Amino acid sequence: MAKILNLFRSRRDRLERDLDRELRYHIDRRVDDLMKNGSSEAEARRRASLELGGVAQVQEEVRDTWIWRGLDALVLDVRYSIRGLVKSWGFALGTGAVLGLGLGASVAIFSVVNKVLLQPLAYPDAERIVSVETFWTNTGRASADVSGPDFRDWQAHNDVFETMAHYEGEEDVAVVVADRAGFANDMYVSPNFFSVFGQAASAGRLLTERDVPTGGARPTVVVVRHRWAESHFGSAEAAIGKTITVYGRPTHVVGVAAPGFSYPGATDLWVPWRSTGTNRSASDFNVVGKLKAGVALASAQAQMRTIGDNLSRQHPENRLKTVSLTPLQERLTGNVQVMLWVLMGAVIAVLLIACANIANLMLARAVVRTREIALRAALGAGRSRLVRQLLTESAVLGALAAVVGILLASLLVRLLVALSPANLPRLDEVRVDATVLLFALGLSFVSTLFFGVVPAIHASRLDLSDALKQGGAKGTTSGSGPRLRAALVVAEVALSVVLLSAAGLLLRSFERLQRVDLGFTTKRVLVAYTQYAVNSPEDRLNRPRFYADLLERLRAVPGVSAAAGVAFLPMGRELRPASDYFVEGRPDGQPGERPKAEYNGITPGYFETLGIPIRAGRDFDRTDTPERPRVAIINETLARAAFPGESPLGKQLRRGPKAPWLEIVGVVADTRWQDPSQPPPAVIFAASAQGAGGSLSILVRTSLDEASLSSTLRTLVNDVNPTVPVRFETMEKLFADALAYPRFRTQLIGAFGAIAALLAAVGIFSVLAYLVGQRTREIAVRRAVGAQTADVIRLVVGQGLRLVALGLVLGLAGALAVARLLEGLLYEISPWDVATYLGALTVLGVAALLATVIPAIRATTIAPLIALQQE
Amino acid sequence: MGSSRFPIPQGTLDMLILQILSLEPAHGYAIARRLQQISREVVQVNQGSLYPALHRLEQRRWLKAEWRQSETGREAKFYSLTRAGHTQLAVEKTSWDRLTASVRLIFDEGK
Repeated sequence: MAKILNLFRSRRDRLERDLDRELRYHIDRRVDDLMKNGSSEAEARRRASLELGGVAQVQEEVRDTWIWRGLDALVLDVRYSIRGLVKSWGFALGTGAVLGLGLGASVAIFSVVNKVLLQPLAYPDAERIVSVETFWTNTGRASADVSGPDFRDWQAHNDVFETMAHYEGEEDVAVVVADRAGFANDMYVSPNFFSVFGQAASAGRLLTERDVPTGGARPTVVVVRHRWAESHFGSAEAAIGKTITVYGRPTHVVGVAAPGFSYPGATDLWVPWRSTGTNRSASDFNVVGKLKAGVALASAQAQMRTIGDNLSRQHPENRLKTVSLTPLQERLTGNVQVMLWVLMGAVIAVLLIACANIANLMLARAVVRTREIALRAALGAGRSRLVRQLLTESAVLGALAAVVGILLASLLVRLLVALSPANLPRLDEVRVDATVLLFALGLSFVSTLFFGVVPAIHASRLDLSDALKQGGAKGTTSGSGPRLRAALVVAEVALSVVLLSAAGLLLRSFERLQRVDLGFTTKRVLVAYTQYAVNSPEDRLNRPRFYADLLERLRAVPGVSAAAGVAFLPMGRELRPASDYFVEGRPDGQPGERPKAEYNGITPGYFETLGIPIRAGRDFDRTDTPERPRVAIINETLARAAFPGESPLGKQLRRGPKAPWLEIVGVVADTRWQDPSQPPPAVIFAASAQGAGGSLSILVRTSLDEASLSSTLRTLVNDVNPTVPVRFETMEKLFADALAYPRFRTQLIGAFGAIAALLAAVGIFSVLAYLVGQRTREIAVRRAVGAQTADVIRLVVGQGLRLVALGLVLGLAGALAVARLLEGLLYEISPWDVATYLGALTVLGVAALLATVIPAIRATTIAPLIALQQE
Repeated sequence: MGSSRFPIPQGTLDMLILQILSLEPAHGYAIARRLQQISREVVQVNQGSLYPALHRLEQRRWLKAEWRQSETGREAKFYSLTRAGHTQLAVEKTSWDRLTASVRLIFDEGK
């Protein structure tokens, strides 16, 4: 490209030089002749040039005859533009940076939107993969949890699915590879699971029907994730045939999935399984299916709905259930859709504001250059040529900004990925790819048109004689310039109000979330995940002993003030459906209408460790052994719901119609559970020593620092049982992670709002400064006829504030319209929160006022005499 | 600029240039002087349109140009007719003759 340009340039230069020489020769000869006839040299030169009709004019006409003119003129325009921009490098740098920032941010956000929402999942025929779900007719909501018998009926009666698979899993299973204990994410899947996703093995084989254990046996083979195979065995091939210990059982690695495949979530191990349960009230599985080619979602939905309706007539447990289909992509990204579109809208608003600012600057430049443009027009440059020149200048700026933007975007994407919640779907796939580049180029083109056309139109309407008469750098006040500039400022202010209001709402919401009373302390609490595999009756007996022993030793460590174990951590990542409960002496109620409560297994000391007050009764203690009657502690929400107006102590409840009764021995204060924004659910705590829950997470309240305690704890665990893996976390980190999404969107929208306000202030400043310049003469006359300083300030500030006020009003209307979108993202704050809107208006109003003050002060320094003399 | 002179008809300038150059190579100023002589007699040639015309003809490869020493000793750009230029001149002369002849015929008819 550079070579071609060079070729053009050298040829072009030669032609220009020759033309110059040729015309100079003509003039000189003519001057000589005229002087021989007695003219003075000056007179001769004047005449020679006049006869020719102006050298510049002739040059322009000759250039018009050069046939490669089209391309050549473009090169020339670009060169003029670059030369012009280099001359006013401050302007070029400023606009390039502002627009580049706007573009970069937009492109970065788009790269996330593109990957997460727009691009199909990275599986063959991904658009045919759907999540098959239970639809609850009483709540009108779909739930991904499906019972085994329902799944089997769905599979047997439909003819719209090519395959339908179920999966179920827990995070963090204990895996021992070559004597090293660690955690892996395992997933129990039906053997046809991989065919839903069109997957092939990268080494070994995938699962088959024969791998499914029968007769209550446990699975003995496993397919592992590509990355997991590499990190544990060096390569996919090396993993095949190896034996690893999964949850205490020797298991053979028979296959490695294709690189990049880890569905669902970040699964490391796929274990063959088949649903055999008969309880239709259980909700054990998630179901995915691949529709047959050519089957529309709606007709598949209709058939499945019929199947579901039939089942609900046949089985009382299914009375309130039917089936619904959700495209898998929508299921995976449903939670973040609104957030991402809001972010995209916000960043485009920032870009628009940046464009408006640049349009303003270009307009100012065009006005300053009015005389230059008028001169060139008078000298014969065609009007279209001038407009083209101005557009080329915009395009050069746009190209500069695109380069800045794309470079910036590739950095911002990394920042964005680092800031994003770790479980944002497909986060690891986000990058600046071809689609994103195309988007960037398109966006910069559109932006360029936006800010380039305005000044070009303005210039094309210039009245030449007027512009030339006015002269100087002051240009003309006539035409559409001032009105356009005012409109741009109003738009900037309005957009900024929208962004700032949204940012304000999210900020206040986030602030409340952060200060929410969880009902327990997160300070100085260390969390250690462990897993103790249970494969035999002895294991089942030994596990409570292991934990009791471990906690005993832990409490003896100096600096540890309390320690306890819990099956399901508050703010933890496990998502379990709450289960039904039954109270002794009351009717069991209908399935689907029974009250529900969370169920958790804990050791004595749990409430003390987290600082949860016991309202009545007692904590669990050493006497609550497997041989003793089963006991439970409930929280106040459950006490209010199940035992209004009476004491729950001594009452009995259970989790299934045939489960053992639990006697309530205590009532504790409410705590929030997994999502800090949700009110505390009803909870039943049972004693882990009596078999409640499985493996425990250890909570330690300590004055020691995290690092030293964690090494102590690791040593303790290793001493007691080296096959138990440990992983550490702090309660504060868990709480922070639980707020990852609100934090992410608040940070981004807050940043966008701040940039918007800043840009708007700069915009107001530049327009007012320009208008004061325009009105110098008028102000001088006013001063001359006795206007006071205060009057002048009032004049300028008044002019600015009129624009700002209009922008604020329009912005407020826009903000209220946008607020509805935000409703779902807000916690304990109304989308119509008056204080927030007042705050946004005030911030912007003050910024605008400051931006008007400097031009106003400048206006007061106009000395009437000097200003008038200049005319 | 006497009223007795009329502006040179469109397209005629090219023909005149070709004619002038068919006699001998010349630079722009010499051509301009020749044109001036013609224009003093009858037609008005705008000098400003000479150079665009020269460049246009050169683009069409009817003229070629080279830098040569002129009568004053300075380098000037001399134009001369190419073979295609000679052909073109012949073509234009013929069509001009036919045009004027037919116009003459029409005028004579009224007599």
